[in-house]
Amino acid sequence: MKNVRVWFKKIGTARYISHLDLNRCMLRAIHKAKLPLWYTQGYNPHAFITFALPLSLGIGGERESMDIRLDDDGITREELIGKLNAALPDDIPVFDVTEPVMKPGQIAYASYLMKLETQGHPPEETAAAIRELFSRETVVVPKHTKNGMIDLDLRPYLDRTEVVARDDGVEISAMLPAGSTMNVNPSLLCDAMKKYLLLDLFSDIRRINLYDADFKIFE
Amino acid sequence: MVNKKIEKLLANVQKPGRYVGGELNCVRKHADEVDVRFAFCFPDIYEVGMSHLGLKILYSQLNTVPYVWCERVFAPWVDMEEEMRKNGLPLYALESGDSIRDFDIIGFTLQYELSYTNILNMLDLAGIPLKAEDRHSLSQLVVAGGPCACNPEPLADFFDLFFIGEGEEVDLEVVALYREYKKQDRSKEEFLKAASQIQGVYVPSLYHISYHEDHTVKAIVPKEGAPLPVKKRIMMDVDKSYFPDKFVVPYIEIVHDRTVAEVLRGCIRGCRFCQAGFLYRPFREKSVDVIDRQCHDLCDSTGYDEISLSSLSTSDHSRLNELIDRLHTWTEKENTGISLPSLRVDNFSPELMSKIKSVRRSGLTFAPEAGTQRLRDVINKNVTEEELMKTVNTAFKGGWTTIKLYFMIGLPTETLDDVAGIAELGQKVVDAFYANPDKPKGKGVKVTVSASSFVPKPFTPFQWEPQDTMETLRKKQRHLVASVKTRKVEPNWHEADTSFLEAVFARGDRRLCGVLLEAHRSGCKMDGWQNFFSFPKWMEIFERCGIDPAFYANRRRSFDEVLPWDHIDYGIKKSFLIDECKKAYANVTTPNCREQCSSCGASCFKGGICYEKRQGLV
Ligand code: SF4
Ligand code: SF4
Repeated sequence: MKNVRVWFKKIGTARYISHLDLNRCMLRAIHKAKLPLWYTQGYNPHAFITFALPLSLGIGGERESMDIRLDDDGITREELIGKLNAALPDDIPVFDVTEPVMKPGQIAYASYLMKLETQGHPPEETAAAIRELFSRETVVVPKHTKNGMIDLDLRPYLDRTEVVARDDGVEISAMLPAGSTMNVNPSLLCDAMKKYLLLDLFSDIRRINLYDADFKIFE
Repeated sequence: MVNKKIEKLLANVQKPGRYVGGELNCVRKHADEVDVRFAFCFPDIYEVGMSHLGLKILYSQLNTVPYVWCERVFAPWVDMEEEMRKNGLPLYALESGDSIRDFDIIGFTLQYELSYTNILNMLDLAGIPLKAEDRHSLSQLVVAGGPCACNPEPLADFFDLFFIGEGEEVDLEVVALYREYKKQDRSKEEFLKAASQIQGVYVPSLYHISYHEDHTVKAIVPKEGAPLPVKKRIMMDVDKSYFPDKFVVPYIEIVHDRTVAEVLRGCIRGCRFCQAGFLYRPFREKSVDVIDRQCHDLCDSTGYDEISLSSLSTSDHSRLNELIDRLHTWTEKENTGISLPSLRVDNFSPELMSKIKSVRRSGLTFAPEAGTQRLRDVINKNVTEEELMKTVNTAFKGGWTTIKLYFMIGLPTETLDDVAGIAELGQKVVDAFYANPDKPKGKGVKVTVSASSFVPKPFTPFQWEPQDTMETLRKKQRHLVASVKTRKVEPNWHEADTSFLEAVFARGDRRLCGVLLEAHRSGCKMDGWQNFFSFPKWMEIFERCGIDPAFYANRRRSFDEVLPWDHIDYGIKKSFLIDECKKAYANVTTPNCREQCSSCGASCFKGGICYEKRQGLV
């Protein structure tokens, strides 16, 4: 019996499937790849499979992970990668399998890359406006929570944000709280731009990496 | 595939996974390397369309041809449609994201009448002229197939050609002809004339229909050498007919999310209300070896852990037990379950039950269709109460406690006593549960009696019958509810008004094309979805078009009336259907094809059950 951490990307069309659908998709892929998945004993056996931190719908992921428990330790890393890739859609490629080092519960931050389309506006001007916004004293946006809508001040989370003008738009890299205790969805940054700057820009958001509380990369 | 234009809309819609493609096993080709681009359109949403076996077969098959790229197109849900219209994004195909306006062939599958308005809406959303006469070039050829193509007349103005019967061969022949004519730069008229000579192709513009003053059809006259009648195509060797070894596996959950194996085509039983039972004659079985191999290939390529053995009447397969044993040799090892979607009351054996026990424990469904033996004889549903009781007792013994019974109301000759019989039959099943010493301990029983409204369909012995008026249907529904005496029996019914509309279009003629066009202009769509269907709106439309829908739904036709679909030939002789209709009124049943051949006409296809030896012939 061994636990493995499967690393994959969620890109292209796969960005538009929910966490539930991803879960089913992975189970089918494991079944198709005929991996010796370990099942719990008892009346209603189920597989052991968990995802580090589900992505919200529409956001891509460059380094997503899923932990599974296998019944057999003879299978190699290369075999696992090959078999899973043969069983998954193109937009969910597996690129590594490792032994889990950290626990998913340790995740505290996530880094994102956001590409904003400026549509005719000079990117440099837009970037400057966004930089100015992010340096204001308060940047308050409404946020859905379990207990309804609250007003969230983004200001404390914007220190590790970089706004760069590119040829075709603006690129923002952000490091935001992520995990079970505090979670800031990068789309809130877009909400802020809409609210304060009246900029409704199409943004392509990718999650690049996950970190623990000391900003060590999740492994 | 998604492009920026599509992506921009996805943030504002529910279930964006419906609109992106990219699923496991979907087929991508290079547009500039193929000669024919084919848009396979299902006039309903993704989840419904992707559950459909015919789509999976034809999609895979067309894509085996190197010069064809077949892509899928579904009706967007209203939120997405609104976004698309607002942002000027025309209807696109899922594989490429390209607008289907520029495709060579746009093919629709006709599964139910209530999807007709969705067809027009999809063409409109694609920017394709709705009427065939307004499309002048060879490309944008709009075609259709599927069971409703048996009476294509209400859609005749919109389609260039229809496929009659089973599509596997004729689709490919038409596509090949199209490619040739495209290369030679020939006109659409020339192409259609040539296509009409292929068996199974109906080109509506090549037939002139004249009407009597009372609006009944006077004559159907072919032009330009088009055939009369148009005979269906059929795959006689089902073992050799194409079946995909791969299915597209949706990301999002669909209605039937599993491997589907097709075990047979047609049905040996001639239930007199059942259109499919006649359209797909004769009964043809696949062999155990072939089904087993196809199931295994599909499970391997999809990762599904459930196989559904699909067909009109799976338990009529002569080697069903052998098949299930064969499947078990590998399914158990691979943690794959087997389910049977259609079970008949009379051969649900304890043996069969033990083999499929592992799956679908939740509920069992049976379709006695009518509440009394007399009426079951009328409709030729050869199921007795005794058989039903035997079956439910087997089921109770096996641990089932929820039984669903399907019935129809509004059947020819039906009285209120027959309707009450539905409730009584439900009650008898409840009583059987409590009388059964082996019933599951400590559990109650629940019997749902579900009553749909009968819709008379073309190519059945009831094609001349009037449908009950909505008032009568509602009276019968109320009578059913009043006849139920216990809470263990739960009556269930569908609104009569959608059945009425279904009845109008099922037996309609070309005069209904104008009604459909008007309905589309008035915003009718998704009529199969309760919250979109508006009966008053439809009535207004009929009124505006000067057409009385009752003429189609509630009128009794005489046997010598020319029916709008008389030029279409499914191999079933009209004289046979007339005899069956008369036998129905005399409460006389007809044996099934395995017991005895009743010379329906389908033996003209030279195979299947018509040519099998019958055991114990009396
Ligand atoms: S058993 Fe009767 S209702 Fe069922 S498919 Fe056959 S003919 Fe139709
Ligand atoms: S010809 Fe005879 S055996 Fe063949 S389908 Fe008709 S009734 Fe059945």
